[in-house]
Amino acid sequence: MAFINYSSREIQLKIVYYGAALCGKTTNLVTLHKQITHAQKGELVSLATDADRTLFFDFLSLNTKTLPGFTTRFQLYTVPGQAIYNTTRQLVLKGVDGIVFVVDSHWDKMADNVESFSNLQENLIENHLSLVQIPYVLQYNKRDIPNAAPINYLEFTFNNRANRALAFESVAATGSGVLETLNAAARLLLAKYSKTPNANVTGMSQPNLSVAVPPSEVNPPVPTPNDAVA
Amino acid sequence: MTGIGMLTAEDQMAIEQRLAEFLAKSEAQWSALVDKGGNLFAQSGDTGKLDLSILSALAAGSFAATHELAKRLGESEFSALYHEGHGQHILMSALHHECLLVTIFGERTNIGLVRFYAQQVTATLNELLQQAREKEAVAIPLQVEGDFLNDQATIT
Repeated sequence: MAFINYSSREIQLKIVYYGAALCGKTTNLVTLHKQITHAQKGELVSLATDADRTLFFDFLSLNTKTLPGFTTRFQLYTVPGQAIYNTTRQLVLKGVDGIVFVVDSHWDKMADNVESFSNLQENLIENHLSLVQIPYVLQYNKRDIPNAAPINYLEFTFNNRANRALAFESVAATGSGVLETLNAAARLLLAKYSKTPNANVTGMSQPNLSVAVPPSEVNPPVPTPNDAVA
Repeated sequence: MTGIGMLTAEDQMAIEQRLAEFLAKSEAQWSALVDKGGNLFAQSGDTGKLDLSILSALAAGSFAATHELAKRLGESEFSALYHEGHGQHILMSALHHECLLVTIFGERTNIGLVRFYAQQVTATLNELLQQAREKEAVAIPLQVEGDFLNDQATIT
């Protein structure tokens, strides 16, 4: 839940990067930590195993001046992606304001992605929340791999609902699309505090999809992973 | 719902005053009110160059993990959590409304004294949190003038 401090004129917002194991959540934060130069940023904290697998969460704090008269402090968290750490994921979701769901574009990871998206919704319910209340954006990561699933397939799988979310293509390891994703999430969160919010951001039912999907491909026949491999 | 959604300047001053009194009596070094989502609400004392956002996030994470342990042992919650170091120690005490009192102290004092005064200040802080929650329930939602969605607003 957002916290507004009228004394220090500060708003604190929590954004959680969620997704399947090894989809690039930590890489997003590492890249953001390197890329962000103007906003005041804290140290990147990783509670990880010796093998650099996230054990509890990664944490990065950003102070920005995105809202007139207020300092906005974005607290960015990742969750551990591995299935065994579900309790930890529930804990990290406590008090969440916005979500970036990172999708691994690799064909072989589609089942893991779908399971993680479903797990996210279950864990939100555990925290008495849902994707209807919590603003979220989708990030289709690892777009540079040779056997990446087509965007229309990912859109059909993860964004085929009445209120479509903003979606972004990214290669987190190189930094492509990472800042765009964060900015979209930040704007969605802050829109409710402005008297004159930008229609493109608050109109979540008709977002400007940054991922171009030709109208003829909005509901394509669902290809199977075997099709792509073949 | 986690913690409280807003603090007025008066609430903040009142809480920080209680924290300062608590520090003076217990001779602890730093004390803060954070919520279980990792937000820092109010603080008093000195931690040097420590990043307080990180401290709050880690304290909340640590307490949350302990809460899960308590549940598995059939306890509703461990009301306090103590980490003992060589020179510095941390005591975390559960408050109402999903909040925590985090206290850092050194060799000038001891855990018994800090815990004793922490228990006292906990009751006062709970009352202040309840008042803040009641104010929040009838407060007008924050709406700022102007469109912040310009190029300058982009995080870079």
